[in-house]
Amino acid sequence: MSKRLYVTPYRCIDCKVCEQACSLAKTPVPGIPAKPRVQTFKVDDQTNFVLLCLQCDEASCQKVCPTDALVRNPETGAIEVNDRCIGCGFCVQACPFGCMDYDDIHNEYIKCDVCKGDPACAKYCPTGALVWDEKAWTDQEAKERTEKKSTDPFSIALEMAKK
Amino acid sequence: MTSSNGKPFGSVKNLLKRAEKILKERKKLKQEIRVCAGPGCIALGAKDIHKELCKQLDDHKKELEAAGLELNVTLSEKCTGCHGMCEAGPIVTIEPEGTFYTGVKPRDTKKIVEKTLLKDQLVDPLLYQLGHHRGGGKVKHYADIPFYSLQLRVALRKVGVVDPTNFDDFLAEGGFQAFAKAIAEMTPEDVIDQVEKSGLRGRGGAGFSTGRKWRSALRVKEDRVWLICNGDEGDPGAFMDRAIMEGDPYSVLEGMMIGAYALGATDAWIYVRHEYPLAVEHLQMAIDKLTNAGLLGENILGTGMTLNVRISRGGGAFVCGESSALMRSLEGKVGEPRAKYVRSVEKGLHDEPTVLNNVETFTCVPAIIDKGAEWFASMGREKSKGTKAFSLVGKVKHTGLIEVPMGRTLREIIFDIGGGIIDDRPFKAVQTGGPSGGCLPAGKLNLQVDFDTLADAGAMMGSGGMIVMDDHTCMVDVAKYFINFLIGESCGKCVPCREGLYQLYDLLNKITNGEGKPGDLETIETLCHTMEVASLCALGKSAPYPVTSTIKYFREEYEEHINDGVCRAGVCPKLIVYHINDDCNGCEVCRKHCPTNAITGEKKKLHVIDPDLCISCGICKSVCKFDTIDIMSGGKIVSRDVVA
Amino acid sequence: MSKTKTSKTVHLTIDGQNVEAPKGAMILDVTPGLGVEIPSLCAHPGLEPFGACRLCVVEIQKPGWDDWYKQLVTSCLFQVEEGLKVWTNSDEVRQNRKVVLDLLMARVPASDVIRDLGNQYGVTKTSYAEVDTEDTCIMCDICVRACHAIGRDAIASMSRGPDKYVDVPDKDACIGCLVCANLCPTNAIPFTANDNGKRRIWGKEFDLVTDERSGEVLGTTEYIEHVRKRAEDKGLLCPEDMKHESARVKRYGYAQKLSHVADVEEPIEEVK
Repeated sequence: MSKRLYVTPYRCIDCKVCEQACSLAKTPVPGIPAKPRVQTFKVDDQTNFVLLCLQCDEASCQKVCPTDALVRNPETGAIEVNDRCIGCGFCVQACPFGCMDYDDIHNEYIKCDVCKGDPACAKYCPTGALVWDEKAWTDQEAKERTEKKSTDPFSIALEMAKK
Repeated sequence: MTSSNGKPFGSVKNLLKRAEKILKERKKLKQEIRVCAGPGCIALGAKDIHKELCKQLDDHKKELEAAGLELNVTLSEKCTGCHGMCEAGPIVTIEPEGTFYTGVKPRDTKKIVEKTLLKDQLVDPLLYQLGHHRGGGKVKHYADIPFYSLQLRVALRKVGVVDPTNFDDFLAEGGFQAFAKAIAEMTPEDVIDQVEKSGLRGRGGAGFSTGRKWRSALRVKEDRVWLICNGDEGDPGAFMDRAIMEGDPYSVLEGMMIGAYALGATDAWIYVRHEYPLAVEHLQMAIDKLTNAGLLGENILGTGMTLNVRISRGGGAFVCGESSALMRSLEGKVGEPRAKYVRSVEKGLHDEPTVLNNVETFTCVPAIIDKGAEWFASMGREKSKGTKAFSLVGKVKHTGLIEVPMGRTLREIIFDIGGGIIDDRPFKAVQTGGPSGGCLPAGKLNLQVDFDTLADAGAMMGSGGMIVMDDHTCMVDVAKYFINFLIGESCGKCVPCREGLYQLYDLLNKITNGEGKPGDLETIETLCHTMEVASLCALGKSAPYPVTSTIKYFREEYEEHINDGVCRAGVCPKLIVYHINDDCNGCEVCRKHCPTNAITGEKKKLHVIDPDLCISCGICKSVCKFDTIDIMSGGKIVSRDVVA
Repeated sequence: MSKTKTSKTVHLTIDGQNVEAPKGAMILDVTPGLGVEIPSLCAHPGLEPFGACRLCVVEIQKPGWDDWYKQLVTSCLFQVEEGLKVWTNSDEVRQNRKVVLDLLMARVPASDVIRDLGNQYGVTKTSYAEVDTEDTCIMCDICVRACHAIGRDAIASMSRGPDKYVDVPDKDACIGCLVCANLCPTNAIPFTANDNGKRRIWGKEFDLVTDERSGEVLGTTEYIEHVRKRAEDKGLLCPEDMKHESARVKRYGYAQKLSHVADVEEPIEEVK
């Protein structure tokens, strides 16, 4: 089984480390960070959320692209924007989750490509909200990871430190 | 039109039976009178002549009937395609004697009917007059005229012989024998074998082996292969394909039908130039008649073969004669060439295998099938078999349409068939291969014309235009003329052709205006090289040929223009001065005709041209009856003949 | 596995380097990453190869050819072949690129892109007659092809030969997406992206649609409508309800939904 990017929303503490890591990892020009492909939100007092591309099976972005510039990488399973992009922006409009974006600083269309198999966000996530792993979780585990509300940052940090 | 009972021919046998019957009927006819209805002769009133001739014949019939007698000659009269000798038109010939009348006027028809047809006498003033160098004298039969006797007609075999609107006439002249033979006795493989063995090379310009082209199309064929006949003849001064399509449309179609049988093609296009309405009319008429006769459409002659031929009219773009541009045009797109690294036999029209051949190529095919590959291969040279049609134009005595075996020298073509240069002026150059061909000088007159020798000499076969020039032609001006033509016809897609032609014209224009700089020739040569190697299609690649070939053979003329400001031919307006010499008797004609009032002078006194007002239009020279106006360039008189 | 792989790839040498490339690829497509630089103005990986600028010419030699014989081809249009030898920077190649750039510098003297490229090839001043124009269009057809790709076909090249020009014959077909202007290699298409909620290009004025919540510009009305229609044609879910929101707003909305929080309305400001 190939590796995947697992998201555990309740572990997110909205620390924005993933955003920064992404920004720096995807910088095309050194010194000018890119717009991050991943984003964390503070939805309410108890809830933080981390969101990145779902790599849909039947991806809208892929379907509307007029030049087939969005192609799934068979090794990572992620859809990547390649150099065929002509910048029409149809994908941004079509993605229902807002995961296609336009980086107006570097003038390019961006989406998460799991860093070609080495996602910086997961590497630097301090709380395990983002994990790049190939383990198959049990149903119970998966349920827990998606449904449990985020708790206070300190207890999570403590938990991480123990591991 | 159809078999005798009005139904389509159901089988090959029926068709042959019908042909035999027509032939038998024809044998009863004593004479046949043919009126040339080629474009040149029509312009000179051939249609009126034909009408008048019919009337005359009718009148005679009635007259004789009234007197209780029967017309003792049975004859047919018809309008045929171009006879070739266009400058002597309108032409009327009488078979089987081969009597050849030139410059016929409607009022002459009475004489022709009364004297030649009824009394077997010749109408002397209408006979062809031999040139002085051949001893003068009149020629009775066209077979004795050098213009015809030196030709060998294969592609043009039925042009000028058959009535292009009459299917029966075509059958009587041996039409569809080849198709019948192919479909009844030969396998498609045999047909391709014969075509390949004959050594037939594409007559459109590049000279690719037709048999090989067909074979490779067959190899990649999956379900459909397209057949296209390229009749988009756009070269200035070329009209071979036009003459064939107008004068012998059935042969073109027969060739396509044989090709379709060999390739298993079911759909074919004929792409005809927009400026050829008569060709479209005749071809359409032929297609309709063949469809009615069961020779086109479904289940042809009961063999199960299907072929639908459609005509598409080009929009008048020269570049659409280029095969890939033509195909795009047929697809309904802009007629621009596409990248040619994939051959069109593999991916042509609608990205399907496509065989595209020129009109002349298709017309040669029935002759090959009929008479055999060996017969065709026996003509011509080792690598260029058969014959080639040329349109001979320019400063040559007999302009017109000719066909000779490959390997004839330029001298034979221009001086023996063409009769030499008008006014017996010195020969300077011949331009072959259309606008993007090259100019060959007098030193190349002994060149044996075929695909490879022309290419080696820096010209090309092209579709077969031949423009002859005399010493009053400025080669820089000629190059400029062709570049200007190509500017108008370049599609503008790739940089070397679009920008290169524009700059080439600019440089040549400067040279002819006396603004040339030393080094310009080198700039031109560099530019021409890039255009040749880096342009996208054949038009761009061959576009610099008129310039490179004239630089190659007439470099000193370019240098004279640039360094001395001299145009030795007296053509370039900015480099020449008109001057009235002392022989002027003051007749005042030139003064009255001068559009800018540049000429002053009193009656019976020497006139003078004011060079500041003169625009070098040349009117004064053309109206002066005493030849007192000289063209000066660089202080020398250039208009007088140097050669005695 | 390895057997199928070899039949789908071919081996060639580019400037002496051994290269393995997928069958059917063009020479220009396989050069990135080889340290080989082939200039090109009219090629775009997403658009059909066109072969207009002739800058990407390279010399090739097929196996079996005489040693001295090489052919000049455009790398954007020439498919790789087994055993092919390619030279991307030979004297002949440079010479022809130089003439092409020289010609372009005469055509568009105002273009910085062409001038810089020309300087790289040693052309500081054109040897030909400069055209007196501020226009920098080089007829590369990228705009025409891009407009065709997005399904509008608004732009067309008109006329032919040196008089050729690019225009929008049917103004209604233009949706003001700016793709053409952004792709233009010589920045020859003038436009105003956003002037008080209006966009101007090709002599047409468009109203811009703005996301109410984030204030981000989404595009022109015509553009949004075109994408909606396209999504419908492609069979995407609920194109009728397709939310025309900025990516951020969409993300936030989605995050809210997924985090099972129903009663949150306020924190949306954070999105900005």
